[in-house]
Amino acid sequence: MDSDSSSGIEEAALIRAAQNGDQGAFEQLVRAYDRTVLRLAMNLLRSPEDAHDVYQETFLRVYKNLRSFRSDSNFHTWLYRIVTNVCLDHLRKRKTRREEPAVTATSDGPRDRLEGVPEERAEGDPQRALISRQLGARIQAVLAELTPRERMVFELRHYQGLRLRMIGDALGTTEEAAKTCLFRATQKMRAALGEFV
Amino acid sequence: MNCEAVRGDLSLFLYGELSVEEEQALQDHVEGCQGCRKALEAEKALHELLEARELEPSPELLVGCRRELALRLKLAAAARPSGWLAWLRETFSGGLGLAGALRRPATAVALVALGFVAARWTSPRPPVAAPDQGGGEGVISRVRYVQPDPSGRVQIVLEETRQRVLTGRPEEEPIQRLLLAAAREANDPGLRVESVEILRQRSQSEGVRQALLEALQHDPNAGVRLKALEGLKAFAGEPEVRDALASALLRDQNPGVRIQAIDLLTQAKQQEAIVGVLQELLGREDNNYIRLRCQRALQDMNASVGTF
Repeated sequence: MDSDSSSGIEEAALIRAAQNGDQGAFEQLVRAYDRTVLRLAMNLLRSPEDAHDVYQETFLRVYKNLRSFRSDSNFHTWLYRIVTNVCLDHLRKRKTRREEPAVTATSDGPRDRLEGVPEERAEGDPQRALISRQLGARIQAVLAELTPRERMVFELRHYQGLRLRMIGDALGTTEEAAKTCLFRATQKMRAALGEFV
Repeated sequence: MNCEAVRGDLSLFLYGELSVEEEQALQDHVEGCQGCRKALEAEKALHELLEARELEPSPELLVGCRRELALRLKLAAAARPSGWLAWLRETFSGGLGLAGALRRPATAVALVALGFVAARWTSPRPPVAAPDQGGGEGVISRVRYVQPDPSGRVQIVLEETRQRVLTGRPEEEPIQRLLLAAAREANDPGLRVESVEILRQRSQSEGVRQALLEALQHDPNAGVRLKALEGLKAFAGEPEVRDALASALLRDQNPGVRIQAIDLLTQAKQQEAIVGVLQELLGREDNNYIRLRCQRALQDMNASVGTF
């Protein structure tokens, strides 16, 4: 979710217009951020259906609560707070239900549920493709073992490139707590994936 | 800095989350320690491995998300409160907040009035009617507080739940109020089904209609939602009801509810308003029968079965 100072002014105007009921302005706000929201949901939940649900729920919450958004706050952080809450709810529900593992067993070994996961580097080389699949399965397994909060912090830091301070803000916690979560997550990753490096 | 501390910080170092001093200390150590240099290389390799697993959502997924959101926003905009409710929301969500609002006498009076009305409607929880045991009334007591006093006596606070049997016609105010509350009783789907069944015959009342709309949109029990749909039949042409029906058509997990929603929407006037919803449904519906009904409805309206 990149924004520079000039687009920040433009964004403030869009927010004001959307708060006053301008549907077009709201749509522009959505368009400015929706790819990031969808990518975050997709990487966290690794399911297009769940990512779709998170997208809808996030922007409907934004729509319903936009009037209470204060102009002196950071929209970017506010939106992250909403989307991380929605994703955490999904992750927690999934943990409770223990449903739909992102990796499934097939006769060819474990496979990511997501067809079309980028594996360009393995293309045309069956041995590499197999290793890549095994690695993918292992990553999924270790991600599933992280607590929802560890998973979220790892995702936001590693894939979304957010600073720990902002992650703390988005999750309603401190930078230190986010750092501890990241530390635990990477420790688990290292233990599970050591043989691949 | 010793090896253990360095290895604990390697990941944070790669993420650029160490302070300048910490970073310098780590680099100084790594330069002189072969074991930690190897560990740093391994950590970099791990980061690269994870990098390769990043997923990019497909453009089709993004387009599908945007289309559904646009539709749901239309429904949400149509269902937005108007009149005094919108005014209240506007007043309390603005920069002044609650404290600012209270400083204004007119608003404060409105707030008191609202509190009075809300208290009448939201409390107490409905006493659930129990079968008359012959004595007419029964009391269930629970000890909440025990306090001995110096004279040797004991003060006990009892919480009592009194069971009463009320009889009356459903349109009478106290009976209807209790029925409305029972229709929202979270823990008892059977009670909700029976209450909605009685209420649905009185949907000309605004309060009843709102309860039916709420049941249709939020009740987890499909039986309750179907009863609510029956009650809303006569009002399928009203914008608020139509939006709730369209939302049920797109979101409800139960095919029976979706079929009933199509029936009501296509029977109502102003059918052109639901063309988009039917087209959207056609693109995602798995149930063949519902797809067929949907296609037929679109053909009857001379509308295209696809979206552009």
